[in-house]
Amino acid sequence: MVLFALISLSIQNLMGAAIVFGAYSFMMCLIWAGMGAVDVAFTEAAVGAGVSTVFIVSTIYNTSATMRSRPGGMAFKFFIGVVVTLAGAFLLSALTDFPDWGDPNSPVNATVVPYYIENSIDDTHVPNLVTSVLADYRGFDTLLETTVVFIACIAIYSILRIETAKSKTDETEEGITSPPSYNPSDSLIVRQASRFMIPFMQLFALYVIAHGHYSPGGGFQGGVILGASLILLAISFDLKFLLRHWREKSLMLLVASGVFLYAAVGLACVFMGGNYLEYGILDSILPGDQAMARSHGILLVEIGVGITVMFSMVAIHINLASNGRFDRGL
Amino acid sequence: MEILAYTLISTGLIFFLGTTIGLLRFPDFYSRMHAAGKGDTLSTVVILLGCICIVSTQGDMSWLLGLKILLIINFIFIGSPTATHAMMDAGNKAGAEPWRKDSK
Amino acid sequence: MVDSTAGSDTMENLIANFNYVIVVILMMIGLWAMLAQKNLIKKCIGMAIFQTGIILFFISIGAKNEAKVPILSKFVVENSSAIIVNDYANPLTQILMLTAIVVGVATLGVGLALAQKVYQQHSTFHEDEILENQRK
Repeated sequence: MVLFALISLSIQNLMGAAIVFGAYSFMMCLIWAGMGAVDVAFTEAAVGAGVSTVFIVSTIYNTSATMRSRPGGMAFKFFIGVVVTLAGAFLLSALTDFPDWGDPNSPVNATVVPYYIENSIDDTHVPNLVTSVLADYRGFDTLLETTVVFIACIAIYSILRIETAKSKTDETEEGITSPPSYNPSDSLIVRQASRFMIPFMQLFALYVIAHGHYSPGGGFQGGVILGASLILLAISFDLKFLLRHWREKSLMLLVASGVFLYAAVGLACVFMGGNYLEYGILDSILPGDQAMARSHGILLVEIGVGITVMFSMVAIHINLASNGRFDRGL
Repeated sequence: MEILAYTLISTGLIFFLGTTIGLLRFPDFYSRMHAAGKGDTLSTVVILLGCICIVSTQGDMSWLLGLKILLIINFIFIGSPTATHAMMDAGNKAGAEPWRKDSK
Repeated sequence: MVDSTAGSDTMENLIANFNYVIVVILMMIGLWAMLAQKNLIKKCIGMAIFQTGIILFFISIGAKNEAKVPILSKFVVENSSAIIVNDYANPLTQILMLTAIVVGVATLGVGLALAQKVYQQHSTFHEDEILENQRK
């Protein structure tokens, strides 16, 4: 995969670089699945190889696609290469202190983790160790990560969004190539195929969110697949088609509501008398004993995460693809 | 059953090799897309059929897993040729010329 | 005498732990791309390569020899005393990396949005031309 990384950096045409970057993400996903990290591989396949590549392609689509090669500047690149090689050698010199690859008794694997592996099923009734630690034992991290996605969505929105009144005056002066107009008879096959596939994608994504307790999956992966289904709708039909059904105001409100759901579950735990995000206290309103209440709490939290991630991906795509104008686009 | 699985997977790999050779050697954008689209879909479907044969020999509830793989084959069979069609359409719009025998 | 044995020991160590070597190579490629490439989009791609290198590092230190995926099977769920810790790959590093991937794509999105805004102003992605335009 080192080869893939080098190739994606050296291709002149930016579209080609984006596609090779997608291939590099797929290779990394396969390597991680081989090392036993299936949740991470699932997320990387959905996020890195799917949505990241679409973002880069949308950005390039609105701007120029080639990279004019400038003569000279080789000395600078060579100098940076030397600096980087020295930094790499410095990092490699610490190699002898590292534990061996695959050692079960290394400090990473032997101190905190056995508690999680042995006690997570008794505490939370969730066989997927990754989901139980992610949403229950380390729930604060996941809350703040969802907030980070939300903030990124708002940041992109505030960087790029232009109101339509202003855009009419400076449209001829800007160097943006206007995308070709949409001709409905062009993409009949693509439209029909995507019309067939999108409901199944959404069904599978809901299954991934709900089944995250027992199989690889959970909130992020399902949310990204749901967002990708809406992005597919935007790509195969026109962007205006998506905007007619999902207005901008409702998109932004739904992004916020996912974070709100997560924080509200934590607050409900405080109201019932426990600590923030301690789901075990909720066993008086949720069915089952304390461990089942933790399992249900994890499910609610994952739903909140899924909602935020889904609409965040859609909003970022719309902003990137239409350059903030929300009218034409990919 | 396992012999069948290994045969299917190696056949899929041979098809994939043919696809790659075609991708490199054909003279024109359209014929390359033709080779890539058809060969890619076919080899993936054959390899996944081999995976169904392997899965049916081990474990309980294996028919459910086989059904899931069958659904994956279904979606790849629909999605991959559509993507090829979309790429060829885009190439046509961008103005790629088909290869003629007399134009060198 | 001492030098040659120390040298061969380092080489053996290097080959046995070659996953760290790959990680450092990937990180350095990403760092070089962020510093030396003139095109803004290539810088963003370099940042993403750096991030995937770091994720590979964490996943590879969490992998154990002949370890299974960290999902407990049905038999183990019923009698929970039968859990052998060394049978499962380390779930803690995977969780940190799940967070890292999602934050990485958020950062990539913000970087691309900024690049688009810069393109609107200067109509180029090349760093030198942008600096020239700014100096005028």
